[in-house]
Amino acid sequence: MPETLRQSLDLSLFWEFRYTIAIGLLQNLYVFVSAGLLALTLALFIGLSRVSRHRILRILSTGYAELFRNTPEFVLLIWVYYVLPILVSKLLATRFSLSPFLAAVLALGVAYSGFLSETVRAGIQSIPRGHVEAGLSLGMSRFTILRRIVIPQAVRRMLPEALSQFVSLFKATSIVSLVAVPDIMYQISMINVDQMRPLPLYTGAALLFCLVIVAASQSINILSDRWRRRGWA
Amino acid sequence: MIDNFNRFVVPNLDLLAHGLWVTVRICATAFAMAVVIGAVACLIRLYVPGLRYLAIGYIEFARATPIIVQLLWVNYVWPDVFGFPKEVEWAGIIALAIQSSGYLAETFRSGIEGLARGQWEAGFAVGMPASRIFRRIVAPQVLLVMAPSIINQLAVMVKASTLVSVIAIPDLMYDALKIVNQWFEPIEVLTSVAVIYILTIFFLSAIAKRVADYFREKYGLAAYA
Repeated sequence: MPETLRQSLDLSLFWEFRYTIAIGLLQNLYVFVSAGLLALTLALFIGLSRVSRHRILRILSTGYAELFRNTPEFVLLIWVYYVLPILVSKLLATRFSLSPFLAAVLALGVAYSGFLSETVRAGIQSIPRGHVEAGLSLGMSRFTILRRIVIPQAVRRMLPEALSQFVSLFKATSIVSLVAVPDIMYQISMINVDQMRPLPLYTGAALLFCLVIVAASQSINILSDRWRRRGWA
Repeated sequence: MIDNFNRFVVPNLDLLAHGLWVTVRICATAFAMAVVIGAVACLIRLYVPGLRYLAIGYIEFARATPIIVQLLWVNYVWPDVFGFPKEVEWAGIIALAIQSSGYLAETFRSGIEGLARGQWEAGFAVGMPASRIFRRIVAPQVLLVMAPSIINQLAVMVKASTLVSVIAIPDLMYDALKIVNQWFEPIEVLTSVAVIYILTIFFLSAIAKRVADYFREKYGLAAYA
């Protein structure tokens, strides 16, 4: 085996800095959970607006989803980090700044709410119209129908797709290092500055991400299959 | 704001146009590579039993690793281990191609596996060898059915290509950040660049949708798509 290949696969350096790297990975998880919650909340409202009876709500929410689905996450992140604080400061006439962490959560949350709202919309539209009509004929209010008939069924159908969106979100958290959130890639660059050994560090990072995400998506596949067999999804 | 737009965006239009050209060049090259590599990986996975797990490993690795990690990995590790790429631009192209080839391989596979079995059987019934059935019957249909997904993958690649600025490839995003760091007036430049990206990607997605509708109408492909 050539020397350089052996060097890149020598993960002892990775092991030596395991605590630093684990802290970085935790930071990724922290961003992931916060952005995921934000995205989920936004997506629920946007997705519901997209099937609303009011035309204005439909147009606005469709515009929102199209806009953020088509914006590169990195551009959005940089925009939120650099431009948004200035705009808000001007608007409120006070000094306003965003921490890198908040900017990351906001940018990723908004970006993925666009993708997730599509899933929510598809889930709601997959519920047969007859279910809503049955509810209406029983004299239930639209809100009650939504809460007790449509959403419980829609959520089950959405789950596999939504979970794979969350896997993409976790992958996307790797870009937050670019606005100096101390995540795993940030820690690895710092260790690299200190040790000057990029080969094992970046190979290890790639393998680590690969491992985490393959494990996550495989368990999602297994879970979705189980859901399908039970007739949930 | 109009003032700043005239001061920071208009004089730099040449620079931004060049950045856009670099973005287009990188995406076009990487996409062409991704289609070829993706097709090869998919064919190996489906039809070469001995190398099947190698192909699966490659596809999973390509799909499961974030693009930024691949960029840094190709940029820092490959020149020492494999002796290439010598230029950052090629590092960016290779990383983008790896990522997309994984997704495209899965797209092709779902197209091939989704094709009705009767198509193969009809080919065998008239005495065609498997390779000719694949070339004449399976591949054209799969490409038609998957055309929208393939174009969508190009849109995804343009989105991902914003990250190549991180390894100092002078693409559109890199030039924008350069102007921002020079004058520290981010609003107009970053917003303009965001608009350019959004319009480009929106345009590609719109084409994908048109292509999908066209094929659906012309060949009735939705029946087994």
